[in-house]
Amino acid sequence: MTEEKDLGLDPGGEFRRRDLIVKAGQGSFLLAAGGLLAACGVQSNSGGSSSGTIKIGFVSPVTGPAAGFGEGDSFVIGLVEEALKGGLEIGGKEYNVEIIQKDGESSPQRSGQVANELINSEEVDIMLTTSTPETTNPVADACEAAHVPCLATTVPWEAFYFGRGAEPGKPSPFKYTYVFCFGTEDFATSYLAMWNQLKTNKKVGALWPNDADGNAIRESLGPLLEKGGYAVVDPGAFPDGLNDFSSQISKFKAEDCQIINSFALPPDFATFWRQAAQQGFRPIIAQIAKTGLFPSQVEALGNQGPNLATAAYWTPTFPYKSIVTKQSSQELADAYTGKTGKQWNQQVGASMALLDGGIEMLKASPNPKDHEKTAKALSKLSYTSLCGPVNFKTGPVPNVSDTPIISAQWVKATSGEFPLDLIIVDNADDPRVPVAAKLKPY
Amino acid sequence: MEYVNAIIQGILLGGLYALFGCGLSLMFGVMRIANLAHGDLAVLAAYMISVLVSALAISSYVALLIVLPLAAVVGWLLQRFILDRSLKSGELAPLLVTFGLAIVIQSMLLEIFSANTKSLSAGSLGTASWKIGTQISIPVFTLMVFVVAILVISGLQLFLSRARTGRAMRATADDADTAGLVGIDARAIYAKATAIAVATAALAGTFFAMRSTFEPSSGPTQLIFAFEVVVIGGLGSLWGTLIGGIVLGVTQTVAGQIDPSYSILAGHFMFLLILAFRPQGIISTQAARA
Repeated sequence: MTEEKDLGLDPGGEFRRRDLIVKAGQGSFLLAAGGLLAACGVQSNSGGSSSGTIKIGFVSPVTGPAAGFGEGDSFVIGLVEEALKGGLEIGGKEYNVEIIQKDGESSPQRSGQVANELINSEEVDIMLTTSTPETTNPVADACEAAHVPCLATTVPWEAFYFGRGAEPGKPSPFKYTYVFCFGTEDFATSYLAMWNQLKTNKKVGALWPNDADGNAIRESLGPLLEKGGYAVVDPGAFPDGLNDFSSQISKFKAEDCQIINSFALPPDFATFWRQAAQQGFRPIIAQIAKTGLFPSQVEALGNQGPNLATAAYWTPTFPYKSIVTKQSSQELADAYTGKTGKQWNQQVGASMALLDGGIEMLKASPNPKDHEKTAKALSKLSYTSLCGPVNFKTGPVPNVSDTPIISAQWVKATSGEFPLDLIIVDNADDPRVPVAAKLKPY
Repeated sequence: MEYVNAIIQGILLGGLYALFGCGLSLMFGVMRIANLAHGDLAVLAAYMISVLVSALAISSYVALLIVLPLAAVVGWLLQRFILDRSLKSGELAPLLVTFGLAIVIQSMLLEIFSANTKSLSAGSLGTASWKIGTQISIPVFTLMVFVVAILVISGLQLFLSRARTGRAMRATADDADTAGLVGIDARAIYAKATAIAVATAALAGTFFAMRSTFEPSSGPTQLIFAFEVVVIGGLGSLWGTLIGGIVLGVTQTVAGQIDPSYSILAGHFMFLLILAFRPQGIISTQAARA
């Protein structure tokens, strides 16, 4: 045995290699089966289980890559349960309300599975679901198939409506599933208004990945930005989980992009942003989506975090109130920080808006235990949510209500216990939301 | 020039991949355990460092020096009290155990630290770079990772070929029973190998956390690259792991320069090509022996 080259760790040679691959293969099978092993969701009960109990299913990602979205959901559900402790009166009848929360684990398979459990075992009367197409779409599909009224949010409405097989110009294939959320046009409105505040060469570097959101944005947002007078430099769709962005950065540098727009996953954007600094690329406006929704994601970028621009679907300065808990946006944010010790995040408001919608849908139904009647009521639902007015009669397309997304920027906080603050820099998409400051260059 | 830059970035990225791979390679080489929790152990170490940094107000690098021996202890305990028992029950048992461990670590981290994204500060090194002309810039931090990877791998190589424990490790890998006849305690050797492997995982995890961000579920995404690095380079060869890392890194960055959508796919293709045409890996221990 030669000492220098051979470590002698591999006497079996190829057979050992095969072992490793077989084992790795077995491992990936196990990983796929992991969802089955994981524990079931949390069940919470706010009343007795008399015949007059309405069951609401609530599916959101509490674990997995999108877990940040689900972080405040238990808190918000707790508030609603507290407010409905005395029961809910619908059409002169008293009902207990039970909200059953399930974790979709950020996975489409698991989300569909828990939705079916809620429908078949728990026999929920309505379903609420939120946060990313990976969670909302399979849940909505299960509800559509089982004829259970379902309301969704925090999924760009195009991804929810067209992503599940509806076609432009044709009648809606959906009778039970509805969404209120922003869409691509809202992004374009917010971005253009904000970018026009600063003088740039109007060249936008696009960091749009090869996933459902990235490709939808490439097709729909790209042309809208060009129509708004901005040239889009798109180095091409890159896969999620990329560890090196040198090719994108060299393209952006060569084209002198003074604006970048990222729809990359949070860790991918962090990798890109650090590498951009190493390679000496510094745009005037860094417009990020998909990451930067939550304070922790921006804090994690250290001194590269402040002055990133984003767009917000809810902040504590939104001028709307919760219908169920009667809290203003600011009161809800303060209650969240008081209870959890964490800084508010956008999804807290959106999840409350969703629960408000669920209760409004039940109240509008002549018989909340009758799926057909509730679905009919849902199709005409109109209420003012924390994220803005929701109205399913006005469209852009059937089953969809378009809510705003507002231009915002992360800045160093001037007061308070948290290092960063998200402030509104333009309100083109909803003039009722107050503007706090002008956009600062990155 | 863009391609030269891409190749440089790829080589440097390969250093990080090799760091991830070498612990995996060592554990598989000595104990035939394919450690599916390798990535999660790396993330665990990153969390340990982040706790130390905020509790003691020290730099990430100092915290790393504290965490490395801790990680080795974790590895030692892991082998002694968990993996050893599973090794007795056939080939599949350790795999199941490491898979379970991966879930336990992820869920535990989620429970304690929530799903919030975290990152470690690399100090001023994090964004510093040396520029050569306008097109090429060499990031200081990534270069440092690469140098550390070379040092770790040469160190391990020296340890295995020169040190008494290292030689015992090779003997045990060859034939644990025969090694036992000359007084080598296989269990002690296994525990030491796992201790080293987990320490290298901790090192890789720390650098990964400084380079990007991490969260409880970050481990598995890096595990696949570590596996590929080990297979591309050639099992049982640590230099092979380094070369495998570089091959994977360069393939990804060069393909990314051609078309960003093929970057990761090209890496996987390279892995399949190597499997198909050079299944013993780039550096074959068989060839070296002949």
